[in-house]
Amino acid sequence: MSGRRVAITGAGVVDGHASAVLGRLLDETEARRLSRVCQMTVAAGRLALADAGLSGSTELALLVGTEFGDMVSTIRFVDDYLERGIPGLSALLFPHTVMNTMAATTAIAVAAKDLSLTLNVPTVAGELAIARGAAAVRAGRIDACLAGGADEPPRLVLDAFREAGAGADVRGEGAGFVVLESFDAARARGARILGEIVGEAWRALAVRPHGVGRVARSRAITAALAGAGAEPAQIGLVYTSASGDGPREAWERALVDGALAPHRPPQRSLSLPAGRHSGLAARSVATAAAEAGEGLALVHAVARGGNQIAIVVAGSEARAA
Amino acid sequence: MKPVAVTGLGVVSPFGAGVKAYWEGISGGVSAIRPITLIDTEGFRCRIGAEVPDSLGGSARRSRADRFALAAAREALDDAGIGRADRADTALIVGAVGGGMLEAEAWYWQRARGVASPMPRALASCFPSAHADVVGSVLGLGGPRETVVTACSSGAASLAMAADLVRDGVVPVALAGGIDALTRICFMGFNTLKLLDPTPCRPFDRERRGMSIGEGAAFVVLEDVERARARDARVYAELTGHGMSTDAFHVTSPHPEGEGMVRAIRAALTQAGIPPAAVGYANAHGTATPQNDRIEARALREVFGEGGLLVSSTKSMIGHTMAAAGTLEAVATVLALDHELIPPTARLEQTDPDIPFDCVPRVAREVAVEHAISNSFGFGGQNVTLVFRRSA
Repeated sequence: MSGRRVAITGAGVVDGHASAVLGRLLDETEARRLSRVCQMTVAAGRLALADAGLSGSTELALLVGTEFGDMVSTIRFVDDYLERGIPGLSALLFPHTVMNTMAATTAIAVAAKDLSLTLNVPTVAGELAIARGAAAVRAGRIDACLAGGADEPPRLVLDAFREAGAGADVRGEGAGFVVLESFDAARARGARILGEIVGEAWRALAVRPHGVGRVARSRAITAALAGAGAEPAQIGLVYTSASGDGPREAWERALVDGALAPHRPPQRSLSLPAGRHSGLAARSVATAAAEAGEGLALVHAVARGGNQIAIVVAGSEARAA
Repeated sequence: MKPVAVTGLGVVSPFGAGVKAYWEGISGGVSAIRPITLIDTEGFRCRIGAEVPDSLGGSARRSRADRFALAAAREALDDAGIGRADRADTALIVGAVGGGMLEAEAWYWQRARGVASPMPRALASCFPSAHADVVGSVLGLGGPRETVVTACSSGAASLAMAADLVRDGVVPVALAGGIDALTRICFMGFNTLKLLDPTPCRPFDRERRGMSIGEGAAFVVLEDVERARARDARVYAELTGHGMSTDAFHVTSPHPEGEGMVRAIRAALTQAGIPPAAVGYANAHGTATPQNDRIEARALREVFGEGGLLVSSTKSMIGHTMAAAGTLEAVATVLALDHELIPPTARLEQTDPDIPFDCVPRVAREVAVEHAISNSFGFGGQNVTLVFRRSA
């Protein structure tokens, strides 16, 4: 893939396994005023930046993937009106009804002043944000970014998804980011390099909304491998987006198997233990980098509706030398 | 930086469906801001807005916003002559905020009043990404598909992101646009923040009292400029640069010095490779709130100096269409370059002395401009500036 090399220099995830750290990562005002999903996003951003040894600046961008935004606050905003009428409406809650509220509060908390994008897509938003972030660093449009996602799924909406036949994924709440930066800049500042993103691509497969497809030809994996200059046989393991939705998982297996055939590396998913949320992509990418060693790993995700993302990750021992 | 050609336009606006109706409305200085009929406004301080006339058609099973999106996207693709065969590699980038929330709200309101009804499918389509899945699926778009939410700059961000994909060679063609239908949440929220003028908004006027909300959708086809020329496509204009920045200051208020806005405008000009003096027209974010207009003017003055630049706000006619605004205003900017006619700022009687620009009061101005910018800003300090060049 032409352009700059993209180093992974930090990771931070706050979810079921690590939610106790919230209190230590927020100041008093944040703990009092921010919604839970915003708190998790701010905390995960701080963890990732600390891990990378970076601080905010006009050169730090932010890419937040989310499926639900701050829907919990949105429902509260509406409930307050339905219970108490116009006097019940809260000017403080209203901004939380816009999905970029997590990005806005995190940008303020960590002083990230370059572009800030919130990407919304079912189940694969975190992977999309990381792929978009990597592409922006590679193209030289940004120098460094926090890329990942956050979710706090409300029960009402999950019930609606199930009734609409939109999947039965095991969901969780949490937030997570990786820090991506130009490899040369990371090396120049003496950063510890966890790995590299060497190829990324995202495409849409032909499927109806909320549906699962029959197409098993993955242009995203092919494009990501081509960008990495890698052959399927070089992929040592695959982290998938499997999270309990049987038909979608079967489709994903077919897409991955078809793209890598006849090679069959092991496939794993981190979703089931904690439940899937958009921040989990950061953990998948960081874990893939740690486990890839001298080889390559593929982080893959496909959503009902057809959004597909492929990220080729090199271990720190593979290309960092 | 390699420019990207604008080869197709599609609009659903408070003037109705189609680019023609939109251009006739905004170039004629016509206001589409009227009493809101779509939702119950009883008891609220402001009860007006710019609604899309109810004559669009389309499946009633789809949300109102999805119908806007499909109509505008179809028009843009048809206008550009992008057929089914080309669409497999066409990217789709959508800027959205409200999603299909209007229909989900209707169900939720009934449920709260004890009216039992089955959970509607619309509830699963209430998120912003629903539009992209519907448009992509119905129109057969197989390239990268993304939904971006940067509040009221979402529609402009979608164009910037699409242009990046075309410039990077990921796709030869991209369809990018913004969509928002009026929702109760949006209407109640802006009323609660006391940002709405009970009378039609008056951007840049010394007596301005706030914004008017609106709804609509717009899409733009962006294409590799050499490909467009090779196939003899009509090129309306070229998108030559964009800048995106974040204030990191406050969730709802812009930085008081317009520092983030200045960075976005300067980044866009740098990418376009032009000096500030080359820009003849700015389609402003121009919401008509006392604070926003003053700060935007400060940012424009910082970059362009006083005078010289023509500045107008098309929100004076169609209100603030939220996530659609950035694209509707990009289309207005492109058409202004193409028609050599700057749309006016309606109802502007006395320009605020803090806004040292010719804001094109009430009547469109015939001017041939070579380069123009379109500014969009949103909650969270999300600033986007697009730079367009008149087609050669």
